[in-house]
Amino acid sequence: MMFFEPFQLPFMARALIELVILGALAGTVGVLVLLRRLAFVSDTLTHTVFPGVVIGHIMAGDGGIFWGALAAGVVTAVLLTLLTQRRRVSEDAALAMLLTTLFAVGVVIVSRQTGFTSDLTAFLFGRVLTVTEAQLAQTAVVTVVVVALLAVLRRPLLLRAFDPEGAQAAGVRVGLLDLVLNVAVALVVVAAVKAVGTILVIALLIVPAAAARSLSDRLAVIVPLACLVGAGAGWLGLVVSYEASVGHGVRLASGATVVLVLVAMYGLAHAAAYVRRKAGLSRARRRSVLEAA
Amino acid sequence: MSERAPTLVLDRASVAYGDVPVLEELNGVVHEGEAVALIGPNGAGKSTFIKALLGLVPVVRGRIEVLGRPPAQARRDVAYVPQADTLDPDFPVSVEQVVMMGRYRRIGWLRRPSAGDRAEVADALERVGLAGRARDRFGTLSGGQRQRVLLARAIAAKPRMLLLDEPFNGVDAVSQHALLEAIGSLKAQGASVVVSTHDLAIAHLACDEVCLLNRHQFGFGPTGDVLTPERLRATYGGHALELRGDRVIVTQT
Repeated sequence: MMFFEPFQLPFMARALIELVILGALAGTVGVLVLLRRLAFVSDTLTHTVFPGVVIGHIMAGDGGIFWGALAAGVVTAVLLTLLTQRRRVSEDAALAMLLTTLFAVGVVIVSRQTGFTSDLTAFLFGRVLTVTEAQLAQTAVVTVVVVALLAVLRRPLLLRAFDPEGAQAAGVRVGLLDLVLNVAVALVVVAAVKAVGTILVIALLIVPAAAARSLSDRLAVIVPLACLVGAGAGWLGLVVSYEASVGHGVRLASGATVVLVLVAMYGLAHAAAYVRRKAGLSRARRRSVLEAA
Repeated sequence: MSERAPTLVLDRASVAYGDVPVLEELNGVVHEGEAVALIGPNGAGKSTFIKALLGLVPVVRGRIEVLGRPPAQARRDVAYVPQADTLDPDFPVSVEQVVMMGRYRRIGWLRRPSAGDRAEVADALERVGLAGRARDRFGTLSGGQRQRVLLARAIAAKPRMLLLDEPFNGVDAVSQHALLEAIGSLKAQGASVVVSTHDLAIAHLACDEVCLLNRHQFGFGPTGDVLTPERLRATYGGHALELRGDRVIVTQT
Protein backbone atom coordinates (compact mmCIF):
# COMPACT_ATOMS: atom_id res chain seq x y z
CA MET A 1 0.00 0.00 0.00
CA MET A 2 1.84 3.06 -1.19
CA PHE A 3 -0.49 5.35 0.81
CA PHE A 4 0.51 3.94 4.21
CA GLU A 5 3.74 1.97 3.82
CA PRO A 6 6.19 4.93 3.76
CA PHE A 7 5.02 6.00 7.21
CA GLN A 8 6.49 2.93 8.89
CA LEU A 9 9.77 4.85 8.72
CA PRO A 10 9.95 6.99 11.88
CA PHE A 11 11.06 10.17 10.09
CA MET A 12 8.17 9.79 7.61
CA ALA A 13 5.70 9.20 10.44
CA ARG A 14 6.88 12.37 12.18
CA ALA A 15 6.60 14.33 8.92
CA LEU A 16 3.09 12.99 8.42
CA ILE A 17 1.92 13.97 11.91
CA GLU A 18 3.48 17.42 11.52
CA LEU A 19 1.85 18.10 8.14
CA VAL A 20 -1.56 16.74 9.12
CA ILE A 21 -1.68 18.91 12.27
CA LEU A 22 -0.40 21.94 10.35
CA GLY A 23 -2.84 21.42 7.50
CA ALA A 24 -5.78 21.25 9.89
CA LEU A 25 -4.58 24.31 11.86
CA ALA A 26 -3.87 26.43 8.79
CA GLY A 27 -7.19 25.36 7.25
CA THR A 28 -9.09 26.64 10.29
CA VAL A 29 -7.25 29.95 10.55
CA GLY A 30 -7.38 30.28 6.76
CA VAL A 31 -11.18 30.46 6.75
CA LEU A 32 -10.96 33.65 8.84
CA VAL A 33 -8.16 35.01 6.64
CA LEU A 34 -10.40 34.43 3.63
CA LEU A 35 -13.49 36.01 5.25
CA ARG A 36 -11.52 39.06 6.34
CA ARG A 37 -9.70 39.27 2.97
CA LEU A 38 -6.38 39.24 4.76
CA ALA A 39 -4.38 37.21 2.23
CA PHE A 40 -1.88 40.01 1.64
CA VAL A 41 -1.55 40.80 5.35
CA SER A 42 -0.88 37.10 5.95
CA ASP A 43 1.67 36.99 3.17
CA THR A 44 3.41 39.96 4.78
CA LEU A 45 3.54 38.02 8.06
CA THR A 46 5.13 35.02 6.35
CA HIS A 47 7.96 37.28 5.16
CA THR A 48 8.44 39.27 8.35
CA VAL A 49 8.86 36.09 10.40
CA PHE A 50 11.90 35.24 8.25
CA PRO A 51 14.50 37.50 9.97
CA GLY A 52 13.38 36.05 13.32
CA VAL A 53 14.05 32.56 12.01
CA VAL A 54 17.53 33.57 10.85
CA ILE A 55 18.47 35.35 14.08
CA GLY A 56 17.09 32.49 16.20
CA HIS A 57 19.15 30.00 14.23
CA ILE A 58 22.34 32.02 14.60
CA MET A 59 21.86 32.49 18.33
CA ALA A 60 20.78 29.00 19.34
CA GLY A 61 20.94 26.66 16.35
CA ASP A 62 17.92 24.64 15.21
CA GLY A 63 16.28 24.93 18.62
CA GLY A 64 16.35 28.73 18.36
CA ILE A 65 14.32 28.87 15.15
CA PHE A 66 10.95 28.49 16.87
CA TRP A 67 11.61 31.17 19.47
CA GLY A 68 13.13 33.62 16.97
CA ALA A 69 10.16 33.12 14.68
CA LEU A 70 7.76 33.52 17.59
CA ALA A 71 9.32 36.82 18.67
CA ALA A 72 9.36 38.21 15.13
CA GLY A 73 5.83 36.94 14.46
CA VAL A 74 4.28 38.55 17.53
CA VAL A 75 6.13 41.86 17.04
CA THR A 76 5.11 42.13 13.39
CA ALA A 77 1.53 41.08 14.16
CA VAL A 78 1.32 44.07 16.51
CA LEU A 79 2.94 46.36 13.91
CA LEU A 80 0.58 45.16 11.18
CA THR A 81 -2.48 45.63 13.38
CA LEU A 82 -1.46 49.23 14.11
CA LEU A 83 -0.67 49.84 10.44
CA THR A 84 -4.00 48.50 9.18
CA GLN A 85 -6.06 50.43 11.76
CA ARG A 86 -5.05 53.72 10.14
CA ARG A 87 -6.31 54.38 6.67
CA ARG A 88 -4.13 57.37 5.89
CA VAL A 89 -1.09 55.71 4.33
CA SER A 90 -1.99 53.48 1.43
CA GLU A 91 -2.21 50.17 3.23
CA ASP A 92 -0.92 48.07 0.33
CA ALA A 93 2.19 50.17 -0.13
CA ALA A 94 2.95 50.15 3.60
CA LEU A 95 2.56 46.36 3.75
CA ALA A 96 4.76 45.83 0.71
CA MET A 97 7.47 48.01 2.23
CA LEU A 98 7.36 46.20 5.56
CA LEU A 99 7.40 42.82 3.81
CA THR A 100 10.43 43.48 1.63
CA THR A 101 12.39 45.42 4.25
CA LEU A 102 12.25 42.70 6.89
CA PHE A 103 12.79 39.97 4.31
CA ALA A 104 15.91 41.80 3.07
CA VAL A 105 17.15 42.12 6.66
CA GLY A 106 16.85 38.35 6.97
CA VAL A 107 18.70 37.71 3.71
CA VAL A 108 21.50 40.13 4.66
CA ILE A 109 22.01 38.39 8.01
CA VAL A 110 21.89 34.87 6.60
CA SER A 111 24.27 35.73 3.75
CA ARG A 112 26.99 36.57 6.28
CA GLN A 113 27.00 32.96 7.50
CA THR A 114 29.06 30.20 5.97
CA GLY A 115 27.04 27.61 4.07
CA PHE A 116 24.21 30.05 3.82
CA THR A 117 22.56 28.73 0.65
CA SER A 118 21.64 25.48 2.35
CA ASP A 119 20.36 27.33 5.43
CA LEU A 120 18.44 29.75 3.24
CA THR A 121 16.70 26.92 1.38
CA ALA A 122 15.70 25.28 4.66
CA PHE A 123 14.30 28.54 6.10
CA LEU A 124 12.39 29.43 2.95
CA PHE A 125 11.04 26.04 1.90
CA GLY A 126 11.26 23.90 5.02
CA ARG A 127 12.67 20.43 5.64
CA VAL A 128 9.78 18.40 6.90
CA LEU A 129 11.65 15.07 6.85
CA THR A 130 13.98 16.27 9.62
CA VAL A 131 11.22 17.31 12.02
CA THR A 132 12.02 16.24 15.59
CA GLU A 133 9.68 15.14 18.35
CA ALA A 134 10.29 18.42 20.19
CA GLN A 135 9.18 20.34 17.11
CA LEU A 136 6.09 18.15 16.83
CA ALA A 137 5.25 19.04 20.40
CA GLN A 138 5.68 22.75 19.61
CA THR A 139 3.32 22.47 16.66
CA ALA A 140 0.76 20.65 18.79
CA VAL A 141 0.90 23.28 21.54
CA VAL A 142 0.54 26.13 19.04
CA THR A 143 -2.42 24.32 17.47
CA VAL A 144 -4.21 23.86 20.78
CA VAL A 145 -3.63 27.51 21.77
CA VAL A 146 -4.79 28.95 18.43
CA VAL A 147 -7.83 26.70 18.04
CA ALA A 148 -8.94 27.39 21.64
CA LEU A 149 -8.53 31.14 21.08
CA LEU A 150 -10.58 31.11 17.88
CA ALA A 151 -13.25 28.87 19.40
CA VAL A 152 -13.74 31.21 22.36
CA LEU A 153 -13.80 34.33 20.17
CA ARG A 154 -15.76 32.84 17.27
CA ARG A 155 -18.83 35.06 17.69
CA PRO A 156 -17.12 38.46 17.88
CA LEU A 157 -14.74 37.33 15.09
CA LEU A 158 -17.66 36.41 12.84
CA LEU A 159 -19.54 39.64 13.59
CA ARG A 160 -16.40 41.72 12.98
CA ALA A 161 -15.69 39.97 9.66
CA PHE A 162 -19.28 40.32 8.44
CA ASP A 163 -20.11 43.82 9.67
CA PRO A 164 -17.24 45.86 11.15
CA GLU A 165 -19.40 48.93 11.85
CA GLY A 166 -22.09 46.82 13.46
CA ALA A 167 -19.45 45.12 15.59
CA GLN A 168 -18.13 48.49 16.81
CA ALA A 169 -21.66 49.68 17.49
CA ALA A 170 -22.27 46.53 19.55
CA GLY A 171 -19.27 47.38 21.71
CA VAL A 172 -16.86 44.79 20.25
CA ARG A 173 -13.20 45.82 20.70
CA VAL A 174 -12.36 45.59 17.01
CA GLY A 175 -8.70 46.60 17.32
CA LEU A 176 -8.03 43.95 19.93
CA LEU A 177 -9.84 41.31 17.89
CA ASP A 178 -7.75 42.18 14.81
CA LEU A 179 -4.61 41.79 16.89
CA VAL A 180 -5.74 38.34 18.03
CA LEU A 181 -6.31 37.19 14.46
CA ASN A 182 -2.98 38.60 13.26
CA VAL A 183 -1.18 36.86 16.12
CA ALA A 184 -3.01 33.63 15.25
CA VAL A 185 -1.78 33.89 11.65
CA ALA A 186 1.73 34.64 12.92
CA LEU A 187 1.57 31.53 15.12
CA VAL A 188 0.59 29.38 12.15
CA VAL A 189 3.57 30.73 10.22
CA VAL A 190 5.85 30.06 13.20
CA ALA A 191 4.57 26.51 13.55
CA ALA A 192 5.01 25.87 9.84
CA VAL A 193 8.56 27.21 9.44
CA LYS A 194 10.26 23.87 9.96
CA ALA A 195 7.87 21.87 7.79
CA VAL A 196 7.18 24.04 4.76
CA GLY A 197 9.27 27.17 5.33
CA THR A 198 8.15 30.77 5.53
CA ILE A 199 7.31 31.14 1.84
CA LEU A 200 5.06 28.15 1.19
CA VAL A 201 2.93 28.48 4.35
CA ILE A 202 0.72 31.09 2.68
CA ALA A 203 -0.62 28.30 0.45
CA LEU A 204 -1.52 26.23 3.51
CA LEU A 205 -3.48 29.21 4.86
CA ILE A 206 -5.30 30.31 1.73
CA VAL A 207 -5.88 27.28 -0.50
CA PRO A 208 -7.83 24.88 1.80
CA ALA A 209 -10.19 27.67 2.86
CA ALA A 210 -10.74 28.77 -0.73
CA ALA A 211 -11.40 25.17 -1.84
CA ALA A 212 -13.88 24.63 1.00
CA ARG A 213 -15.60 27.95 0.28
CA SER A 214 -16.17 26.97 -3.34
CA LEU A 215 -17.93 23.78 -2.16
CA SER A 216 -20.18 25.24 0.52
CA ASP A 217 -21.99 28.39 1.64
CA ARG A 218 -22.21 27.26 5.25
CA LEU A 219 -19.48 28.02 7.79
CA ALA A 220 -20.36 24.89 9.75
CA VAL A 221 -19.28 22.93 6.66
CA ILE A 222 -16.50 25.22 5.41
CA VAL A 223 -14.36 25.08 8.57
CA PRO A 224 -14.17 21.25 8.93
CA LEU A 225 -13.82 20.88 5.15
CA ALA A 226 -10.87 23.31 5.09
CA CYS A 227 -9.26 21.31 7.93
CA LEU A 228 -9.75 18.10 5.99
CA VAL A 229 -8.37 19.52 2.74
CA GLY A 230 -5.32 20.93 4.55
CA ALA A 231 -4.60 17.70 6.42
CA GLY A 232 -5.34 15.53 3.36
CA ALA A 233 -3.02 17.53 1.16
CA GLY A 234 -0.25 17.11 3.75
CA TRP A 235 -0.63 13.34 3.67
CA LEU A 236 -1.03 13.05 -0.10
CA GLY A 237 1.85 15.44 -0.76
CA LEU A 238 4.18 13.32 1.38
CA VAL A 239 3.06 10.13 -0.39
CA VAL A 240 3.66 11.66 -3.83
CA SER A 241 7.09 13.07 -2.98
CA TYR A 242 8.15 9.77 -1.34
CA GLU A 243 6.93 7.66 -4.27
CA ALA A 244 8.61 9.94 -6.80
CA SER A 245 11.90 10.04 -4.89
CA VAL A 246 12.16 6.43 -3.72
CA GLY A 247 10.14 4.60 -6.37
CA HIS A 248 11.07 6.56 -9.48
CA GLY A 249 14.30 8.35 -8.64
CA VAL A 250 12.74 11.81 -9.22
CA ARG A 251 13.57 14.03 -6.25
CA LEU A 252 10.56 16.12 -5.25
CA ALA A 253 10.84 18.58 -2.34
CA SER A 254 8.07 17.53 0.06
CA GLY A 255 6.96 21.03 1.12
CA ALA A 256 6.51 22.21 -2.45
CA THR A 257 4.80 18.94 -3.39
CA VAL A 258 2.26 19.49 -0.61
CA VAL A 259 1.54 22.95 -2.00
CA LEU A 260 1.07 21.59 -5.54
CA VAL A 261 -1.27 18.87 -4.25
CA LEU A 262 -3.24 21.60 -2.46
CA VAL A 263 -3.59 23.61 -5.63
CA ALA A 264 -4.72 20.50 -7.50
CA MET A 265 -7.34 19.88 -4.80
CA TYR A 266 -8.51 23.47 -5.17
CA GLY A 267 -8.87 22.91 -8.92
CA LEU A 268 -10.92 19.76 -8.30
CA ALA A 269 -13.13 21.53 -5.75
CA HIS A 270 -13.73 24.35 -8.19
CA ALA A 271 -14.57 21.93 -10.99
CA ALA A 272 -16.96 20.03 -8.70
CA ALA A 273 -18.67 23.28 -7.70
CA TYR A 274 -18.99 24.24 -11.36
CA VAL A 275 -20.53 20.89 -12.33
CA ARG A 276 -22.93 21.05 -9.39
CA ARG A 277 -23.99 24.59 -10.29
CA LYS A 278 -24.60 23.53 -13.91
CA ALA A 279 -26.57 20.47 -12.79
CA GLY A 280 -28.58 22.62 -10.37
CA LEU A 281 -29.34 25.12 -13.12
CA SER A 282 -30.52 22.51 -15.59
CA ARG A 283 -32.66 20.88 -12.89
CA ALA A 284 -34.25 24.25 -12.16
CA ARG A 285 -34.80 24.80 -15.89
CA ARG A 286 -36.45 21.39 -16.31
CA ARG A 287 -38.66 22.12 -13.35
CA SER A 288 -39.75 25.48 -14.72
CA VAL A 289 -40.45 23.90 -18.13
CA LEU A 290 -42.55 21.21 -16.41
CA GLU A 291 -44.41 23.81 -14.38
CA ALA A 292 -45.09 25.88 -17.48
CA ALA A 293 -46.50 22.83 -19.28
CA MET B 1 -45.80 62.98 25.33
CA SER B 2 -44.21 64.98 28.12
CA GLU B 3 -44.93 62.32 30.78
CA ARG B 4 -42.68 59.90 28.89
CA ALA B 5 -39.06 59.62 29.92
CA PRO B 6 -36.46 61.32 27.71
CA THR B 7 -34.18 58.79 25.96
CA LEU B 8 -31.96 61.16 24.03
CA VAL B 9 -30.80 64.55 25.22
CA LEU B 10 -28.67 66.86 23.08
CA ASP B 11 -27.44 69.92 24.92
CA ARG B 12 -25.34 72.38 22.84
CA ALA B 13 -23.36 69.36 21.68
CA SER B 14 -20.56 69.47 19.12
CA VAL B 15 -18.89 66.34 17.75
CA ALA B 16 -15.56 66.17 15.93
CA TYR B 17 -13.15 63.79 14.22
CA GLY B 18 -9.82 64.85 15.71
CA ASP B 19 -9.61 68.63 15.37
CA VAL B 20 -12.24 68.87 12.63
CA PRO B 21 -15.71 69.66 13.96
CA VAL B 22 -18.38 67.80 11.97
CA LEU B 23 -21.56 68.83 13.74
CA GLU B 24 -22.01 71.86 15.98
CA GLU B 25 -24.62 73.16 18.38
CA LEU B 26 -26.97 70.17 18.49
CA ASN B 27 -30.00 70.65 20.75
CA GLY B 28 -33.07 68.54 21.30
CA VAL B 29 -34.85 65.87 23.29
CA VAL B 30 -36.38 62.55 22.18
CA HIS B 31 -38.72 60.56 24.43
CA GLU B 32 -39.68 56.91 24.77
CA GLY B 33 -41.72 55.65 21.84
CA GLU B 34 -40.81 58.58 19.58
CA ALA B 35 -39.09 58.50 16.24
CA VAL B 36 -36.88 61.28 14.92
CA ALA B 37 -35.87 61.65 11.26
CA LEU B 38 -32.41 63.02 10.46
CA ILE B 39 -32.73 65.01 7.27
CA GLY B 40 -30.07 66.81 5.32
CA PRO B 41 -27.98 66.63 2.12
CA ASN B 42 -25.11 64.18 1.56
CA GLY B 43 -22.13 65.08 3.69
CA ALA B 44 -24.36 66.92 6.17
CA GLY B 45 -23.15 64.71 9.01
CA LYS B 46 -26.12 62.35 9.40
CA SER B 47 -23.93 59.24 9.75
CA THR B 48 -21.65 61.11 12.15
CA PHE B 49 -24.72 62.03 14.21
CA ILE B 50 -25.58 58.33 14.52
CA LYS B 51 -21.96 57.42 15.34
CA ALA B 52 -21.96 60.07 18.06
CA LEU B 53 -25.03 58.43 19.63
CA LEU B 54 -23.05 55.17 19.68
CA GLY B 55 -20.09 56.86 21.33
CA LEU B 56 -17.87 56.18 18.28
CA VAL B 57 -17.26 59.88 17.57
CA PRO B 58 -16.34 62.05 20.56
CA VAL B 59 -18.46 64.90 21.87
CA VAL B 60 -16.05 67.84 22.15
CA ARG B 61 -18.42 70.43 23.58
CA GLY B 62 -21.78 70.29 25.30
CA ARG B 63 -23.46 67.03 26.23
CA ILE B 64 -25.14 64.02 24.63
CA GLU B 65 -27.03 61.60 26.85
CA VAL B 66 -28.44 58.33 25.57
CA LEU B 67 -30.86 56.57 27.97
CA GLY B 68 -29.51 58.79 30.73
CA ARG B 69 -25.90 57.72 30.17
CA PRO B 70 -22.91 58.88 28.13
CA PRO B 71 -23.35 57.29 24.64
CA ALA B 72 -20.53 54.71 24.92
CA GLN B 73 -22.09 53.34 28.12
CA ALA B 74 -25.53 52.96 26.58
CA ARG B 75 -24.52 50.60 23.74
CA ARG B 76 -25.95 47.57 25.51
CA ASP B 77 -29.46 48.94 25.02
CA VAL B 78 -28.92 50.56 21.62
CA ALA B 79 -29.12 48.69 18.30
CA TYR B 80 -27.58 49.99 15.10
CA VAL B 81 -28.81 49.06 11.63
CA PRO B 82 -26.20 49.71 8.90
CA GLN B 83 -27.00 50.10 5.22
CA ALA B 84 -27.38 46.62 3.76
CA ASP B 85 -25.35 47.41 0.65
CA THR B 86 -22.22 48.09 2.71
CA LEU B 87 -22.05 44.35 3.54
CA ASP B 88 -20.39 41.67 1.41
CA PRO B 89 -23.10 39.63 -0.37
CA ASP B 90 -20.67 36.69 -0.84
CA PHE B 91 -20.22 36.23 2.91
CA PRO B 92 -21.13 32.63 3.79
CA VAL B 93 -23.70 33.32 6.46
CA SER B 94 -27.42 32.48 6.63
CA VAL B 95 -30.26 34.90 7.36
CA GLU B 96 -30.80 33.12 10.69
CA GLN B 97 -27.12 33.51 11.62
CA VAL B 98 -27.21 37.24 10.87
CA VAL B 99 -30.27 37.75 13.09
CA MET B 100 -28.66 35.60 15.83
CA MET B 101 -25.79 38.15 15.88
CA GLY B 102 -28.31 40.46 17.58
CA ARG B 103 -28.41 37.97 20.46
CA TYR B 104 -24.61 37.66 20.87
CA ARG B 105 -24.45 40.15 23.72
CA ARG B 106 -26.92 38.09 25.70
CA ILE B 107 -25.54 34.70 24.67
CA GLY B 108 -21.93 35.61 25.52
CA TRP B 109 -18.86 33.85 24.11
CA LEU B 110 -19.26 30.22 25.05
CA ARG B 111 -22.89 29.33 25.74
CA ARG B 112 -24.91 27.79 22.91
CA PRO B 113 -27.97 29.76 21.78
CA SER B 114 -30.92 28.66 23.93
CA ALA B 115 -34.44 27.83 22.78
CA GLY B 116 -35.35 31.33 23.96
CA ASP B 117 -32.68 32.89 21.70
CA ARG B 118 -33.98 30.87 18.74
CA ALA B 119 -37.54 31.97 19.48
CA GLU B 120 -36.44 35.64 19.55
CA VAL B 121 -34.72 35.19 16.18
CA ALA B 122 -37.79 33.54 14.65
CA ASP B 123 -40.03 36.27 16.10
CA ALA B 124 -37.80 39.08 14.76
CA LEU B 125 -37.82 37.52 11.27
CA GLU B 126 -41.60 37.20 11.49
CA ARG B 127 -41.88 40.90 12.32
CA VAL B 128 -40.02 41.94 9.16
CA GLY B 129 -41.98 39.45 7.05
CA LEU B 130 -39.12 37.06 6.30
CA ALA B 131 -40.02 34.05 8.43
CA GLY B 132 -39.66 31.68 5.48
CA ARG B 133 -36.14 32.78 4.55
CA ALA B 134 -34.27 31.84 7.74
CA ARG B 135 -32.08 29.17 6.13
CA ASP B 136 -31.24 31.09 2.94
CA ARG B 137 -27.83 32.65 2.50
CA PHE B 138 -27.93 36.37 3.36
CA GLY B 139 -26.43 37.41 0.01
CA THR B 140 -29.13 35.64 -2.04
CA LEU B 141 -31.80 38.06 -0.79
CA SER B 142 -32.72 41.33 -2.54
CA GLY B 143 -31.34 44.63 -1.22
CA GLY B 144 -34.61 45.49 0.50
CA GLN B 145 -34.88 42.05 2.08
CA ARG B 146 -31.30 42.26 3.36
CA GLN B 147 -32.17 45.59 4.97
CA ARG B 148 -35.11 43.86 6.67
CA VAL B 149 -32.82 41.10 7.95
CA LEU B 150 -30.55 43.73 9.51
CA LEU B 151 -33.57 45.33 11.15
CA ALA B 152 -34.59 41.88 12.44
CA ARG B 153 -31.09 41.53 13.92
CA ALA B 154 -31.63 44.82 15.78
CA ILE B 155 -35.09 43.72 16.94
CA ALA B 156 -33.65 40.46 18.30
CA ALA B 157 -31.31 42.53 20.48
CA LYS B 158 -34.38 44.00 22.28
CA PRO B 159 -33.08 47.58 22.16
CA ARG B 160 -34.50 50.61 23.94
CA MET B 161 -33.13 52.79 21.16
CA LEU B 162 -32.82 51.94 17.48
CA LEU B 163 -30.47 53.79 15.11
CA LEU B 164 -30.97 53.32 11.36
CA ASP B 165 -28.61 54.70 8.71
CA GLU B 166 -30.50 55.38 5.45
CA PRO B 167 -32.58 52.18 5.65
CA PHE B 168 -34.86 53.18 2.76
CA ASN B 169 -32.16 53.82 0.15
CA GLY B 170 -32.82 51.77 -2.97
CA VAL B 171 -35.44 49.66 -1.19
CA ASP B 172 -38.50 48.34 -3.06
CA ALA B 173 -42.05 49.24 -2.01
CA VAL B 174 -42.75 45.89 -0.30
CA SER B 175 -39.62 46.11 1.82
CA GLN B 176 -40.24 49.77 2.60
CA HIS B 177 -43.68 48.88 3.90
CA ALA B 178 -42.29 45.99 5.97
CA LEU B 179 -39.57 48.22 7.45
CA LEU B 180 -42.08 50.94 8.38
CA GLU B 181 -44.42 48.39 9.99
CA ALA B 182 -41.62 46.89 12.07
CA ILE B 183 -40.33 50.31 13.14
CA GLY B 184 -43.88 51.28 14.11
CA SER B 185 -44.31 48.20 16.30
CA LEU B 186 -40.99 48.88 18.05
CA LYS B 187 -42.15 52.43 18.80
CA ALA B 188 -45.40 51.08 20.16
CA GLN B 189 -43.37 48.98 22.59
CA GLY B 190 -41.61 52.09 23.86
CA ALA B 191 -38.35 52.08 21.88
CA SER B 192 -37.01 55.36 20.53
CA VAL B 193 -35.97 55.43 16.87
CA VAL B 194 -33.44 57.65 15.11
CA VAL B 195 -33.48 57.24 11.33
CA SER B 196 -31.53 59.13 8.70
CA THR B 197 -33.27 59.49 5.36
CA HIS B 198 -33.48 61.56 2.19
CA ASP B 199 -37.18 60.91 1.96
CA LEU B 200 -39.34 63.72 3.33
CA ALA B 201 -42.50 61.65 2.79
CA ILE B 202 -41.16 58.91 5.05
CA ALA B 203 -40.25 61.48 7.66
CA HIS B 204 -43.86 62.69 7.61
CA LEU B 205 -45.21 59.15 7.68
CA ALA B 206 -43.08 57.47 10.30
CA CYS B 207 -41.52 60.11 12.50
CA ASP B 208 -42.84 62.36 15.24
CA GLU B 209 -39.85 64.66 15.15
CA VAL B 210 -37.40 65.89 12.58
CA CYS B 211 -33.82 67.06 12.97
CA LEU B 212 -32.62 69.13 10.01
CA LEU B 213 -28.88 68.87 9.64
CA ASN B 214 -26.17 70.38 7.50
CA ARG B 215 -23.08 70.71 9.68
CA HIS B 216 -25.27 72.75 12.02
CA GLN B 217 -28.75 72.03 13.21
CA PHE B 218 -31.40 73.87 11.15
CA GLY B 219 -34.29 72.73 13.29
CA PHE B 220 -35.39 70.07 15.74
CA GLY B 221 -38.98 69.52 16.68
CA PRO B 222 -42.37 68.10 15.67
CA THR B 223 -42.39 67.06 12.02
CA GLY B 224 -45.13 69.48 10.95
CA ASP B 225 -43.39 72.46 12.57
CA VAL B 226 -39.91 71.75 11.27
CA LEU B 227 -40.46 70.56 7.69
CA THR B 228 -41.25 74.04 6.40
CA PRO B 229 -40.14 75.47 3.04
CA GLU B 230 -38.00 78.13 4.74
CA ARG B 231 -36.11 75.65 6.89
CA LEU B 232 -35.62 73.16 4.05
CA ARG B 233 -34.27 75.97 1.87
CA ALA B 234 -31.89 76.95 4.63
CA THR B 235 -30.74 73.34 5.12
CA TYR B 236 -30.31 72.44 1.47
CA GLY B 237 -29.09 75.85 0.25
CA GLY B 238 -29.48 76.23 -3.51
CA HIS B 239 -30.76 72.69 -3.96
CA ALA B 240 -34.28 73.34 -2.69
CA LEU B 241 -36.89 74.69 -5.10
CA GLU B 242 -40.28 76.04 -4.18
CA LEU B 243 -43.45 74.64 -5.70
CA ARG B 244 -46.72 76.56 -5.45
CA GLY B 245 -45.62 78.57 -2.47
CA ASP B 246 -46.10 75.93 0.24
CA ARG B 247 -44.17 72.93 -1.09
CA VAL B 248 -40.48 72.38 -1.48
CA ILE B 249 -38.73 69.95 -3.77
CA VAL B 250 -35.18 68.98 -3.00
CA THR B 251 -33.19 68.61 -6.20
CA GLN B 252 -30.07 67.09 -4.77
CA THR B 253 -29.81 64.76 -1.82
